[in-house]
Amino acid sequence: MVNILKFSLFFLCVSLSVVNAQQRFTLSGTIIEESSNETLIGVSIVFPEIKTGTTTNEYGFYSITLPKGVYKIEISYLGFSTITETITLSQNISKNFSLKDSLESLDEIIITKSSEKANIRSTQMSINKLSSAAIKEIPILLGEPDIIKAITLLPGVSNAGEASSGFNVRGGAVDQNLILLDEATLYNSSHLFGLFSIFNTDAIKDIKLYKGGIPARYGGRVASVLDIYQKEGNSKKFHGSGGIGLVTSRLLFEGPLKKNVSSFLISGRSSYAHLFLPLFDVSNKAYFYDINTKLSYRINDENNIYLSGYFGRDVFSVNNTFENIYGNSVLNFRWNHLFSDKLFSNLSMIYSDYTFGLNLDFIEFEWTSGIQSLNIKYDFKHYTSDKIKLQYGLNSYYYKFTPGDIKPNTETSGINEMLLTNKYALENAIYIDTEHKVTEKLALSYGLRVSSFFRLGQDEFNIYENDQPVIWNNTFKVYEKAEPIDNKSSERTDILEKFFNLEPRAALSYRFNENNSIKLSYNRMSQYLHLLSNTSSPTPLDIWAPSGKYIKPQLLDQYAAGYFINFSADTYSIELESFYKTIKNRIDYVDGADLIANNYIERAILNGRARAYGLEFLFRKNKGRFKGWIAYTLSKSEQQTEGRTPDEFGINNGSWYYTPYDKTHDVSVTTSFKLSNSWKINTNFLFQTGQPVTFPNSQYLFNGIVIPNYSGRNEDRLPSYHRLDLAINYTPKTHKNQSFRSSWDFGIYNVYNRRNASSIDFNRNRGTGRNEAKRLSIFGIVPSISYNFKF
Amino acid sequence: MKKVLFICFLGILSFFNCEDIIQVELDTAEPRLVVDGTLAWIKGTSGNLQEIRLTLTAPFFDTIIPPATGATVTVTDEDNNVFNFTEKDSTGKYRNQSFRPTLNGTYTLNINYNNEAYIATETLIPVVPIESVEERPNVGFAGDETEIRAFYTDPKGVKNYYLFEFINPVTGVRNNELYDDEFTDGNRTFGIYFDDDFKTGDSLIIANEGISKQFHEYVNVLLQQINIDDGDPFQTQPAIVRGNCINTTNPDNFALGYFRASEVSVFIHVFE
Repeated sequence: MVNILKFSLFFLCVSLSVVNAQQRFTLSGTIIEESSNETLIGVSIVFPEIKTGTTTNEYGFYSITLPKGVYKIEISYLGFSTITETITLSQNISKNFSLKDSLESLDEIIITKSSEKANIRSTQMSINKLSSAAIKEIPILLGEPDIIKAITLLPGVSNAGEASSGFNVRGGAVDQNLILLDEATLYNSSHLFGLFSIFNTDAIKDIKLYKGGIPARYGGRVASVLDIYQKEGNSKKFHGSGGIGLVTSRLLFEGPLKKNVSSFLISGRSSYAHLFLPLFDVSNKAYFYDINTKLSYRINDENNIYLSGYFGRDVFSVNNTFENIYGNSVLNFRWNHLFSDKLFSNLSMIYSDYTFGLNLDFIEFEWTSGIQSLNIKYDFKHYTSDKIKLQYGLNSYYYKFTPGDIKPNTETSGINEMLLTNKYALENAIYIDTEHKVTEKLALSYGLRVSSFFRLGQDEFNIYENDQPVIWNNTFKVYEKAEPIDNKSSERTDILEKFFNLEPRAALSYRFNENNSIKLSYNRMSQYLHLLSNTSSPTPLDIWAPSGKYIKPQLLDQYAAGYFINFSADTYSIELESFYKTIKNRIDYVDGADLIANNYIERAILNGRARAYGLEFLFRKNKGRFKGWIAYTLSKSEQQTEGRTPDEFGINNGSWYYTPYDKTHDVSVTTSFKLSNSWKINTNFLFQTGQPVTFPNSQYLFNGIVIPNYSGRNEDRLPSYHRLDLAINYTPKTHKNQSFRSSWDFGIYNVYNRRNASSIDFNRNRGTGRNEAKRLSIFGIVPSISYNFKF
Repeated sequence: MKKVLFICFLGILSFFNCEDIIQVELDTAEPRLVVDGTLAWIKGTSGNLQEIRLTLTAPFFDTIIPPATGATVTVTDEDNNVFNFTEKDSTGKYRNQSFRPTLNGTYTLNINYNNEAYIATETLIPVVPIESVEERPNVGFAGDETEIRAFYTDPKGVKNYYLFEFINPVTGVRNNELYDDEFTDGNRTFGIYFDDDFKTGDSLIIANEGISKQFHEYVNVLLQQINIDDGDPFQTQPAIVRGNCINTTNPDNFALGYFRASEVSVFIHVFE
């Protein structure tokens, strides 16, 4: 709290110093959707005569301070009718606006209809926004709209393979993405071993993906931020919506608790219990469900509170011998408060939990592991003038890591109970970010985040000779696990290790005219948590490990430059960006590392580094019956782990090697064609360089088994990946006053049935006794149908 | 043990996925010496007959793995007794018929091949007997497999490492499973094996072998390279696996494989 006070005082001084001779007044308020009172994020409020403007924040709030005068203002938002009004600013004005959905106002006079376009004005680059409506149009596997699958169609974003729901941004690893749902950090984003992501698009309002130039208010992960906001719920009228698909059924209800004041939203989604297991003779189960809830209460114009929750689980059991349950739970309380018409604040208190449980009857044990965090955030948005906007705040996490608890689950079990040592940590950050409009053409943003990480006391912290948990056996030229020479137990209040990092952020945009600009950005970020995963795609058994004595925080430096242009009256836009980034302390695993139930994980880890660079191109057609985009990324992503002494070989002989998510070429073409008001055809086409893999260069015989012998890591590649998807959307005509609306989606995934290799295994066929290369392809052509409704 | 479990994970995907055999062009490395050197002392035998097999690496898709012939192979015990292993008809199989094993004895292997000297040292590790074997039908993902549990009692308070081999005597197909006593110290526990391809009356050779920690590590990494059918989602990146045979003439030209010494408990199970 002391820090906030200091900050506030500091900014008070800053604001006072920009006092102008001319009298200035503030226009502020909230912009909502007319039909539901749902606040709208990123609405632009433009003053065309003086060529300035602002946008609404994550809670629909805007504020702008201008010299006294009479102004024309335009308020526009994608998919909504634009409002044009004249405002006389002779005192501070608080004014809320309601926007009408452009579809629902067909019969009325539409002044203009806002469309998507490249953002020329803002310093923020390397950002992609997708509306929930846009995501639903993208043809997708089994007709299941999926946020993560959708963002992988954007430049600079890819994923490791078909059965991996995680995503890789600009050559970064899956664990380097900060995933926020209503400000709460999520630790795992996939259902069913990565086939689907955990986000129910019905309950989602807004999605932003930051790939670079990441503002100082975000931190803790080095590759990207995926910032997702859930709907608040309709506070005017009770509504429902839902859908029935091949994989899941969805249902959402929202409505007022007290009209125009408070609302609720509850949405559930569940897959069918015997989904992928048409084996009715044995009792196998595989299903998932999730529940999104939200309560919103508008106390008055200055105060809003929100309580939101997410709960999701995957259940997978095989013939009563094997049962696996995992998922996230998130509970989140937020309080929006306006200190003044220029100072907006949001206080969030968040609990987030990821748990993984495994019951293995056939070897008679059960296992649980997970991560829990408590998080307090206090964020301020200070609209000091039309030239300067400040954002500052603090963010604090308390973590508990439960790497595993193994228990016998029968009396006869030969397993001894074993609790892997729990770990605790505290992560704190304070930040300030300035958005500064220097001239009409030049805008800067600069900020600093100061982050710290304290590894707290725990039981049995291992001590190794020379602090080396991994030792080099110079005789056999292999890495070996060191035996701990001692272990120390300490109080939770003790600090075992601490880290401080300064994370400067800077961005610049220079506008040549209304339609094109260049942008530059730099960001340094640190990441204190590491996901232990030996494979390229995230498995449900995600074990997060904190930084400490043996694992150092990852540090990123990223530089990006871009050129942005809208042309032909915003019908087309091009965004061209390049980036270069380096990461220090990227961990890698010694050969044969065993990450499961490993209480001495430090004995399998070496610290290395990573780098990635690339060029991204996005061409979009924003208007008309035919819309779509072409995204192309040319990039390289590599990793290196050198030996600590000249004797040591390091990993892969200390040479750079491709990360498993390196993709030289990544092309996606997404189109949407509106045949009529009822029929729409959407397609997407993807082409990607095959994933880097390691193929054998010889074979040998040992103990009666044929062993493939490998050479350098990731020197080979799987065949190129490409596929075409098609979706047809049919919305039957409805009468204007009819409240029930429905639509059908027919889809075909992988239209030309390409057998894209998800892996190639080299082994001996026991039948023929010959070695062979076996290709595993996950999805061939997959048709789908789903029915959606709204009332 | 941990690895066995997680094969189940990918079982779910098998309903979508499809596998086929494809042609892949592979690079070929220069041939390298491979030492398949096991001194195995089966409980209740004299342990006099021992064989060490030397081969060379071969291109991956070749059907023949060439023997390394014409080598000089000796094993020396702690008392400097030298046992000469002589090659049988250019097969790469080197044998000694008068070997004298001692539990916890240390043995040194010396090989001279192509004018390069290789050396390795290992201790003969004792093992507890397989006490009984249980058969449990109708298990596994599709419920059509039979589970075999071979029980043993782990000695308490000492670190033990085990290599279980399940061998089909007709086809010669071997399954190797590694165990340690991290979670089972001092308990009666079992080695586990699944089979869906046997007839009543077929037999299965089960061998439990005492191994060193170093060899356990080696086989652990080695088994991860084999990439059994479904793949293991937790497998490590493939890499060259170095054993304990050092080339003293030219260290870069190290030999693959391992020299190890184990006491072995054998149990012959007949399927019900």
